[in-house]
Amino acid sequence: MTTTLLELKSVEKKFAAKSAWFQSKQFVHAVNGVSFELNERETIGIVGESGCGKSTTGRCVLRLIEPTSGEVIFQGKDITKLNKNEINQIRKNIQMVFQDPMASMNPKLTIREILSEPLIAHKIPRSEHEKLLSETVKLVGLSENYLARFPHEMSGGQRQRIGIARAIILKPKIVILDEPVSALDVSVQSQILNLLQDLQEELGLSYLFISHDLGVVEHVAHRVGVMYLGEMVEIANKEELFENPLHPYTKALISAIPKTDPDEVKERITLKGELPSPSNPPTGCKFHPRCIFAQDICKTSKPEIREVEGRKVACHLV
Amino acid sequence: MAKLETYKPIQARVAPKDPIKIKSDTLRKLLKDKRAVVCILFLVIVALIGILAPLLAPFDPEEQFYESILQGPSKEHLLGTDAIGRDVLSRLVYGVRVTLTVSMLAVAITFFLGTFIGLLSAYVGGWLDNVLMRIMDILLALPSIILALAIVAILGPSLTNAMIAVGVASIPGFARLIRGAALSIKSSGFVEASRSIGSSHSWILRRQFLPNVAGVLLVYTTLFIGVAILDTAALSFIGLGAQPPTPEWGTMLSEGKNYMYDAWWLATFPGIAITIVVFSVNFLGDALRDIFDPKSTR
Repeated sequence: MTTTLLELKSVEKKFAAKSAWFQSKQFVHAVNGVSFELNERETIGIVGESGCGKSTTGRCVLRLIEPTSGEVIFQGKDITKLNKNEINQIRKNIQMVFQDPMASMNPKLTIREILSEPLIAHKIPRSEHEKLLSETVKLVGLSENYLARFPHEMSGGQRQRIGIARAIILKPKIVILDEPVSALDVSVQSQILNLLQDLQEELGLSYLFISHDLGVVEHVAHRVGVMYLGEMVEIANKEELFENPLHPYTKALISAIPKTDPDEVKERITLKGELPSPSNPPTGCKFHPRCIFAQDICKTSKPEIREVEGRKVACHLV
Repeated sequence: MAKLETYKPIQARVAPKDPIKIKSDTLRKLLKDKRAVVCILFLVIVALIGILAPLLAPFDPEEQFYESILQGPSKEHLLGTDAIGRDVLSRLVYGVRVTLTVSMLAVAITFFLGTFIGLLSAYVGGWLDNVLMRIMDILLALPSIILALAIVAILGPSLTNAMIAVGVASIPGFARLIRGAALSIKSSGFVEASRSIGSSHSWILRRQFLPNVAGVLLVYTTLFIGVAILDTAALSFIGLGAQPPTPEWGTMLSEGKNYMYDAWWLATFPGIAITIVVFSVNFLGDALRDIFDPKSTR
């Protein structure tokens, strides 16, 4: 029996776009009614093109960006309605790893100071700091003498290990991984991904894994959600999604993964046209201008996400 | 834990400790810069002169020698005497004390309030940023010396009020510079990371912002010292700062200007003193800027 840890219910985020005086306000709909749940000890991968709102969704969970509407339920509480003190308590249980480990660490602080920050923020007694620091550094596969270093004295992979250490030092329940390996070399990527999987087993973590790299997501995720222009178009178990994608956009994405076997003949769906601007999205199904299966109904009515064969898809034709 | 402990931790190479290595990177770079070294040495000497004024000055700065009024430089009075027979050299030496304390305190006012307003404005943003910066813009529209004049006019002429005026008049420019530096830090990844961790605002400001604006702060503080010395002297020159008989360089300049044709030494030596000190402070500021911002072109 899996227990739901985190649940997003039609989360929306509108950014006010620059508009001239007296002009009606323009909005960019970055996230438009995204719902999914994250179970205990589960990794859910969120994939999509740049600008589809996957990072914004991750930041809405921690309220680094305030969601415009919708609910984020964690341990029975709606995070979006908490006040500043309560949200900080939540942040003890939900931590985040960022894409660029160099940018996400203050260059003027040592690794020891960087890793101590969560401990100080959540008032862990000083006597326990040293033990937690050395324990966590070892947990991410580094030795204690790294604690005295500065971020710029380390390689990209080592820095990301520190980024992960900072996120797990408080033993959170959920870690939001925002493109954690995109800034790394391929050889280092796999090391970090394996480390993340081991940590998940050891510490019983749940991951919200945001990535544009389908190969990476296939490697780590249990379930995968596909986003397009701020909307979740398909959520399914990893095997089902990669074997038999239902949504035309997912089909196109999966067909674009390079094949390891050169003789394998695979039909490739090439998407035509540009990603439409989120400030002026297409009517009906947002994907219809680029969809090879598009019908008349797709231009006028927006498909709601619904259960199909035990998974969720937003498409009229499925 | 069993599985993870099979990881062989990557060992960090520890660099051998160099016993005579200068710890601070900034200081090392600064000592490599010849003009900075000359300026620092000169300013240290000036400061020492101020501290040791009673030992160095040949006479009391307010002692009047009635038998030698308006005398040119001589063996007895190296830089001559003024209209009421006071020794110019002694007044110049004691003037260091006044000039340095007043400008330092004025810069301290600028530093604390300017940093506070700049950081607050950048960090909080929104309407507060707008309100604060519009006020700063209004004050910036006036040259700082005019603003200082207005403040002294309100408070009344005295050395303390001149100091407050000079300090307050520099706040708008300083606050704007610090706000600019802080804005670039606000949008950086590590501030977002701090927020995601749940750190308090004061912690983020102290540990994430301050270390990263420290360089900018140091550069601008140094440059503002030069401005403060000049502005204090200017206020004293027009009679709104130090009041006679205080030995202040601006006051001495003002007293000397009436005798420009008969006794050139009265205005010349304080003028040279002001120029050289401001010059070296600015040079030092430039050298610091080159260290902290190698991209800026000279």
